Amino acid sequence: MAPTNERHMNDTSSKASASPAEPKGKRPPVLVDGVTLNGPTLDIREAESFLRDAMPIIMEEAVWKATDVKEKVCEWRSPEQLKDLLDLELREGGEAHPQILQRCRDAIRYSVKTGHPLFFNQLYAGMDPYSLVGRFITEAINPSLYTYEVAPVFLLTEEAVLQKMIEIIGWQEGGDGIFSPGGSVSNMYAVNVARYHHCPDVKVLGLSALPRLVMFTSQECHYSVAKAAAFLGIGTNNVYVIPSDKRGKMIPAEFEKQVQRAKDEGALPFMVNATAGTTVLGAFDPLEEIADICERHNLWMHVDACWGGGALMSKKHRYLLQGIHRANSVAWNPHKMLMAGLQCCAFMVRDKTNLLQRCHSAQASYLFQQDKFYDVSYDTGDKSIQCSRKPDAFKFWLMWKAIGTKGLEERVDRALAMARYLAEEIKKRDGFRLVMEPEYTNVCFWYIPPSLRDMADGPEFWRNVHAVAPVVKERMMKKGSMMVGYQPHGDKANFFRQIIISPQVSREDMDFLLDQIHSLGMDL
Amino acid sequence: MGGECIFQSSQPVNRYLQCHELVLYKYRNHAKNLLVIVIIDFRIRLPRLYSTLSALTSLDYVTTTGPSQPYGQQHLNEPLLDHREGQLFLTEAFKVILEEVLCKGTDVNEKVCEWREPEELATLLDLELREYGEQQHQLLQRVRDVAKYSVKTNHPRFFNQLFAGVDYHALTGRFLTEALNTSQYTYEVAPVFVLMEDEVLSKLRSLVGWAQGDGIFCPGGTMSNMYAMNLARYRAFPEVKLKGQWALPRLAVFTSQESHYSVMKAAAFQGIGTENVFKVNVDDRGCMITDDLSEKIELAKSQGAVPFLVHATSGTTVQGAFDPLEPIADICDRQGLWMHVDAAWGGSVLFSKEHRHLMRGVERWESGACSGIQLLECNFDLLKRCHSADATYLFQQDKFYDMSLDTGDKSIQCGRKVDCLKLWLMWKAVGSQGLEERVDRAFAHTRYLVEKMMKREGFQLIGKPEFVNVCFWFIPPSLRGKENSPDYQDRLSKVAPVIKERMIKQGTMMVGYQPLGGRVNFFRMIVISPQLSYQDMTFFLDEIERLGNNL
Repeated sequence: MAPTNERHMNDTSSKASASPAEPKGKRPPVLVDGVTLNGPTLDIREAESFLRDAMPIIMEEAVWKATDVKEKVCEWRSPEQLKDLLDLELREGGEAHPQILQRCRDAIRYSVKTGHPLFFNQLYAGMDPYSLVGRFITEAINPSLYTYEVAPVFLLTEEAVLQKMIEIIGWQEGGDGIFSPGGSVSNMYAVNVARYHHCPDVKVLGLSALPRLVMFTSQECHYSVAKAAAFLGIGTNNVYVIPSDKRGKMIPAEFEKQVQRAKDEGALPFMVNATAGTTVLGAFDPLEEIADICERHNLWMHVDACWGGGALMSKKHRYLLQGIHRANSVAWNPHKMLMAGLQCCAFMVRDKTNLLQRCHSAQASYLFQQDKFYDVSYDTGDKSIQCSRKPDAFKFWLMWKAIGTKGLEERVDRALAMARYLAEEIKKRDGFRLVMEPEYTNVCFWYIPPSLRDMADGPEFWRNVHAVAPVVKERMMKKGSMMVGYQPHGDKANFFRQIIISPQVSREDMDFLLDQIHSLGMDL
Repeated sequence: MGGECIFQSSQPVNRYLQCHELVLYKYRNHAKNLLVIVIIDFRIRLPRLYSTLSALTSLDYVTTTGPSQPYGQQHLNEPLLDHREGQLFLTEAFKVILEEVLCKGTDVNEKVCEWREPEELATLLDLELREYGEQQHQLLQRVRDVAKYSVKTNHPRFFNQLFAGVDYHALTGRFLTEALNTSQYTYEVAPVFVLMEDEVLSKLRSLVGWAQGDGIFCPGGTMSNMYAMNLARYRAFPEVKLKGQWALPRLAVFTSQESHYSVMKAAAFQGIGTENVFKVNVDDRGCMITDDLSEKIELAKSQGAVPFLVHATSGTTVQGAFDPLEPIADICDRQGLWMHVDAAWGGSVLFSKEHRHLMRGVERWESGACSGIQLLECNFDLLKRCHSADATYLFQQDKFYDMSLDTGDKSIQCGRKVDCLKLWLMWKAVGSQGLEERVDRAFAHTRYLVEKMMKREGFQLIGKPEFVNVCFWFIPPSLRGKENSPDYQDRLSKVAPVIKERMIKQGTMMVGYQPLGGRVNFFRMIVISPQLSYQDMTFFLDEIERLGNNL
């Protein structure tokens, strides 16, 4: 390596010294390594005109048309077809602006319109213009959140949002927090912080030096808990799964039994992951009772409120999370129910002793110099497990400023009312059967086509019902009329999971959803 | 204005104005003989309502008592969110973004930053989140404030971090990504981006020189390095996924003293422990000394630890050093270790025919991180076996298309942002050729700067740069020739922080400094943006002199 390197150095310096010195006044080309250094290579004016041309396309096609209920939700193409249409290959030479603009149009056309009122497929939906502006700003400014020096505005807004969220959770003495790239990562943070809280040695010595750790979660929890256990070296076998009741809620008595089991085995139980708003059923674990057990056994209580946290904004519905103020940490994703746009995920701890910092810091001297001229406690980057970090809180801050706490509350109330309406409609209609009464905005239901309606309830019947949802889904995607998810769950046959989030959704859309499923599946 | 009206008792006589957000009812109150206007606000934005109604002040009576909204009787017929108002705001806000952020932010005559103390800035921004929303003109002012007080990382004179400059194609890609708001887990929700990511990754792998492999985009190089550590551990000891670290012997990771701090974070996070990261010595330029690597491996073994991963760096954060990959690969082959190359910073040299020799041996790594992109040369399934959790609600096995395209289960995340579009679009627009030119140009700028610096008094380089990191001390006149005085190092260490403070407060440019090893605070200049010209280099040197000459 070294010899080649020197050869290269000598080679270039001889070239550079051969280039003419820089005289005053006139500016002849400065040539180094065969590269002219006069003026920027990037023609700003041309680039700007490109942006001016591209922006109307983005606005028109990706924002307005994509949220128009009269347009299609998706334009289905099979992977092979789509590969050809997009001409993905990256080549040696570049392309001209009109071609690139056409590529933008294509990307929009064949993408799923997640802001469309009839997109019910995931736990995010809708489009909020204020949040979108916030996102455009951060993309244009392109900051990374490590120090106050580089991202003053975004660090302060992050702090303001976190404090407000902590206040809403109900931690009277305050707390600490950080935005992370996704709820899964937030849950990993929780496991790591809980582990460090119990055994600070783990940071330096690793798990080998510790007794076997055991964590608890309900069978209905998000799969990221298992991922976190594997990733953090705890192992999925050391995640003890607690049975849930019929509504998908953790059974506290079972939880205590599992804690006892771990203790009897000589392992060290250290945390529980309670879920507020499960992914499929939208169930809320009984937090008060779980908190009691945690206090008895000195366990870290983490609440995965990524999805259900939105209910905290509503005076009417926040009882669902009764007891959350007793949690040690909370994960809450405003990009879900509150429509802040992907991604916006807060991880918060009740601790006031700088636990996040102590647990994650690596004290890089090139970023977190201690001899800076301002209060370096504002350089919060070392609390994170990331280095570069996107300013995910800002869009949420701007949206909150625009519509106020009241506006957020109203959206949540409305989504829940809409779910109620849909559930009532399902009960009224032939061929639709609720899996259970919704507690949140997950409305889970089966569609039973006419051919199956007279069949007796039994394994044969459910086998047939199981095959219905995939076909209806395929047909709706190919038609592009709407998108709603389905899945099997435990021993239950495939059922639809309808999610309501966007305030752009109206009652007619609910009726349309049911009509559409019927018309797509009536011949099955 | 003012007064009360009980809505329930009123009979709307004329519903004469309706839009999604606002319904006006007009009726005559016979008892008081007054014409009453009832405004029902479907969104709660009362203060603004008054102002838009100022044209209607001739009306006798205005009240804002809306109907009570009992459960289940909300106004479900009309959407709560009206996009016409949003449209106006977006259009206006975009003008501000274009003017303030992109035009002014890249203008060399404007300031790089507008320094305010944290407390002062907090007041200026009025951070508090309140019960009610704000009017659009206020929000536009907020957009302007944010643009004003943010550091202009796109500015030609922002040399502070390992990113800088703006590429308008990439920016368009990013705006588009934001507008489409997609999460990259399945082909079903993100068809375009699943395919695009695949193409970009395979192109990057071919740059590395791998015929096949696997990969994923992740949020940051630190995450990539964590992936690598987890994969390496899983390959050596697959039982770790189920049983955890307790089923394993003590593990050992090797990395150079100058590698990125994320290796330590990863070791702590993954339960390996920072103590088990063995730091290999580096030479003057910051490159790993391979003999010492062999020694450290033996040392770890003698302590009963099991080596499993060598974390090499292509382009260290401070000095921009490239570890010698060929000899490291030889050692890894002999010892059966996973070799990961952190090329988050240096990976771009692969685009350049002239400079890719810096990463010779690159085709022999098993995994590499390249600006937040994780690349792997390994049997295809490893990522998936290692990270999968088989969530039935996302990855249904009875979907109607080829499910190998649902790549989400490879990730440790669930929702994952689309990061490939911006790179794909930029690559399409400028071509491999264009990217190569940019890399070559950054190298040429670096050479030019180094030449100039060697000719100027008071600038002392720390090693000849291999990459585009130029590390140097500025020695003010008062310290020149006093190298032997006992407080020299102490005084020199105070120079960079003061110059930095002055440049930030004046907003003329931004460049980073740090101590490293036994060296006191020195500047690290990073040359990346294609907007730079040699005049900016000259300006840079003049400015350091101007700010530091009187120290």
